[in-house]
Amino acid sequence: MIGAKIEKKALKLGYMPLSDCLPLLVAQQQGFFAKQGLNVELQQEVSWANIRDKVIVGHFDGAHMLAPMVLASSVGLGGLKKPLITAFSLGLNGNALTVSNSLHQQLYDTNKDTFEYAHTLKQLIQQRKDHGLPALVFATVYPYSCHNLQLRYWLGSAGIDPDNDIELVILPPSQMVDHLKLQHIDGFLAGAPWNSVAILQGIGHCLLTGADIWQNSPEKVLAVTQEWAEENPNTHHALIRALYEACHWLENNAAKALPLLEQYLSLSSPLIDQECLVPAITGEYVFSNSEQERKVPGTLIFNRLMANFPWLSHAQWIADQMKRWGWLPKNIDCDELIIQCYRPDIYRAALNHIRLPTSDYQENINNHNNS
Amino acid sequence: MTPVRVMLVDDTPTRSAILEQALRDQGLTVVCRLESAQGLIKNVEVHQPDIIIMDLESPDRDTLENMTVLNQHNPKPVIMFSDEDNSQIVSQAVQAGVSAYIIDGLNPHKVKPIMDVAIARFREYQALKKELKQTRDQLADRKIIDKAKGLLMKTRGLDEEQAYHAMRKMAMDKSKPIAEIAQNILSVMELLSP
Repeated sequence: MIGAKIEKKALKLGYMPLSDCLPLLVAQQQGFFAKQGLNVELQQEVSWANIRDKVIVGHFDGAHMLAPMVLASSVGLGGLKKPLITAFSLGLNGNALTVSNSLHQQLYDTNKDTFEYAHTLKQLIQQRKDHGLPALVFATVYPYSCHNLQLRYWLGSAGIDPDNDIELVILPPSQMVDHLKLQHIDGFLAGAPWNSVAILQGIGHCLLTGADIWQNSPEKVLAVTQEWAEENPNTHHALIRALYEACHWLENNAAKALPLLEQYLSLSSPLIDQECLVPAITGEYVFSNSEQERKVPGTLIFNRLMANFPWLSHAQWIADQMKRWGWLPKNIDCDELIIQCYRPDIYRAALNHIRLPTSDYQENINNHNNS
Repeated sequence: MTPVRVMLVDDTPTRSAILEQALRDQGLTVVCRLESAQGLIKNVEVHQPDIIIMDLESPDRDTLENMTVLNQHNPKPVIMFSDEDNSQIVSQAVQAGVSAYIIDGLNPHKVKPIMDVAIARFREYQALKKELKQTRDQLADRKIIDKAKGLLMKTRGLDEEQAYHAMRKMAMDKSKPIAEIAQNILSVMELLSP
């Protein structure tokens, strides 16, 4: 309820230096947190594991988190078992698959006529096997991430077994470009701005964006522990309202936020400048530094299309994919897990003054390009 | 009984050297000390540690986390104390800036003493670093204050005590640290000097 007493005013929120942390930065800079009576301290982190651990032990009240981590931590995958929840999606899309120039050339040489890169890649993998060449190496940012799930889904769509036909590694986003340049990896699926950094430096070539795999897919969410949400319901609502206002502001003012984003992101890497931040946020996505004609509209959606609603159908897809790869314990009831982790009811209560969807499930969920 | 094999990943060599010594004193074997996760997976395969202790400030932690979902032929690390009851020690570890991964098979009872040592050394290092910074800041402040004092004596014809007193009064009036006042004086004088 608006105007309800806030249980906790001073909050600490963690984030990773990526383009989609922008709603948090904007909420701080534009005073949206303060407007809700919150005094927020933002803390930049270096790994998703740190984000998770600090939320779980209570050093952070909440954080910018990979959507699948909420489910993974709730069942104790890869770490401490503690129920996490999300009632707010920080936006949609933003990921892309960038491959080395040499892999791009090989794909092109293998099949000039079609953009069915996944099937061409399958052919190429077979050719490499026949010639006794080492497996191709692809990197994503975290095991329980939309990046990893998207890449595996895309590979699977062409019959490529991500666990046996290629090597999948995990690298921090800020190291992707260097590893691609040094040929340690042949490609990576990561979020903005790292694809644009590789492309603008002429090191890689973007094969496809995450939206080509799943249009308007979930990405980062505001995660808190279930315990925290129960103890601080009004604070949680205030936080959601502030972030909603930031996302709404961003929808119309993304260009204005670029200096702010650069200021925060460049703290973590000297490779980041404003130019590489533009494509995913405001401008048109550039796939290669030589192919100017192939551009698509900006990939990150901060607010429109009900981007902030924590759709149960998003959680459903994530849980289904985690199950598909055998990550979820056999005794887990997926439907229960989804309802426990994704909380549209809290979103609805916090934002009862805006237009809300009638259902908690998005109908066109199966509108995947590669399904 | 074979000693527990520990691997350290820390980009601060002084700290990991201190920790290595402390662990050796406890009869443990430090099999490998890495400054980054470059070649991390390979090193785990080669050195077969029972436990990996890692600096929380290392972005390479996520790389290591992947081993929790990796296939069977690799050792399978589990973040420390998956047991929910141990959240307090986890909290202490996070506070101290250290994380650990246990490889399957290590007796959980052996983990706590190792973690206690790691947490203690990381804390000690934090305290040392803080102390060093304070000392450095104080030294730097002293230099600035002395310089500003000298300038006031020269330009205003004050003696040392009067110059210091003038700055201290201004600091109290404006409720700002005297070093900041001194810095302001130096900046203004620099601006006005021909």
